[in-house]
Amino acid sequence: MQNRLIGLTVALVAMVALSPNLPAQTATEHGAAKAQQLNTASHAPDFSGLWTPRPDGIMLNTWDSSDPYGKKPELAPMVPWAAAKWKEARPPFGAKQTFEGINDPVQRYCDPPGITRIYMYPWEFTMIQTPKMVYILYEFTRVWRSIAMVPEHRKDPDPTWLGDSIGRYEGDTFVIDTIAFNDKTWLDHTGHPHSDALHVIERFRRVDHDTLELAVTIEDPKAYTKSFSGKKYFIATMSPMEESICAYSEYDAFQKTVIDPATKSPGK
Amino acid sequence: MKQLLLSVFVIVVGLLAVSIPAIAHHGVAGYDLTKTITLHGTVTKFDWSNPHIVIHMDAKNANGEVQNWTIELAAPTHMSRAGWTKNVMKAGDDIIAEVHPAQNGAPVGISGTVTFQLKIVINGQTLPMH
Repeated sequence: MQNRLIGLTVALVAMVALSPNLPAQTATEHGAAKAQQLNTASHAPDFSGLWTPRPDGIMLNTWDSSDPYGKKPELAPMVPWAAAKWKEARPPFGAKQTFEGINDPVQRYCDPPGITRIYMYPWEFTMIQTPKMVYILYEFTRVWRSIAMVPEHRKDPDPTWLGDSIGRYEGDTFVIDTIAFNDKTWLDHTGHPHSDALHVIERFRRVDHDTLELAVTIEDPKAYTKSFSGKKYFIATMSPMEESICAYSEYDAFQKTVIDPATKSPGK
Repeated sequence: MKQLLLSVFVIVVGLLAVSIPAIAHHGVAGYDLTKTITLHGTVTKFDWSNPHIVIHMDAKNANGEVQNWTIELAAPTHMSRAGWTKNVMKAGDDIIAEVHPAQNGAPVGISGTVTFQLKIVINGQTLPMH
């Protein structure tokens, strides 16, 4: 599966590099009117480059601005079933972080982190903007997603790990609206669950040449009594993205070699 | 076979007032971050793989018994950016490693994450810190 994802990513990058659909900044050559119609005006803000978490944001463990480091994750506005599910979570981060019985779907099973949690890992990402689609390539787990530059979601999309994403530019901000998730990921490092009604809004804005702001708003009326949001900042880097694969065999070996011995009670 | 030169060094060198709450793939709940010990011994294996690089080394404990320690470091991508490569050490090398030990007393420790890196010396040469 991982190899297939790598292959797809390589093919995607090659396709974009060779595509006649030039980046948004030069879309006028191929018809400004069409680009405008697709909400990708020639003056679309440029988010190209490699972005890595600003050091002060590496410890961010939730998207709740009232508890960004996950010190009181129990206070999230969860409905009863979500609160019960959260209590079952044994996360490796946050106030109740543990080494014992970890059931983090990423660490234990190499599941995709999901689009809200992936920004909490200290790895890079890059954005490839074209008139019709924007692609975000994430270094961690080498996962990528596509954002259709269209005004409406597909009708009744099927649930997926990364959801159905549409994008638009609002001045200097790139807004991504995503729905149609499965309910298998955690929203954050502290194990907050979500339902298939999850609705995520990402707002990217370049606050200066080398700093990217990401504001995330999370709505999930099946799991939370109100929406919540948070921000994280990324800085431009020249360090190329490298391989950070989640290979189950490696994770399992690490669990048995490092985590399990450090977890066993003395004398066992 | 290169003769093992093992010295006994399990020295608590400091108490850290502030814990380091989060790292790349998992937290540090299993480690005692208030303790830093220094191990001196011989590398038995250097595993450059995900999710974290792992050093295996032999060192004698206070009773003179050889223990095989397992030392966790940051992910390969982060260590690569810090200047490490797969060739920075090999089995048989002399190693001095500072580690935060496991809370349960097992010979397991952590020497580095994306947020910190303790001192590692191979054959007298200190490896890059980040």
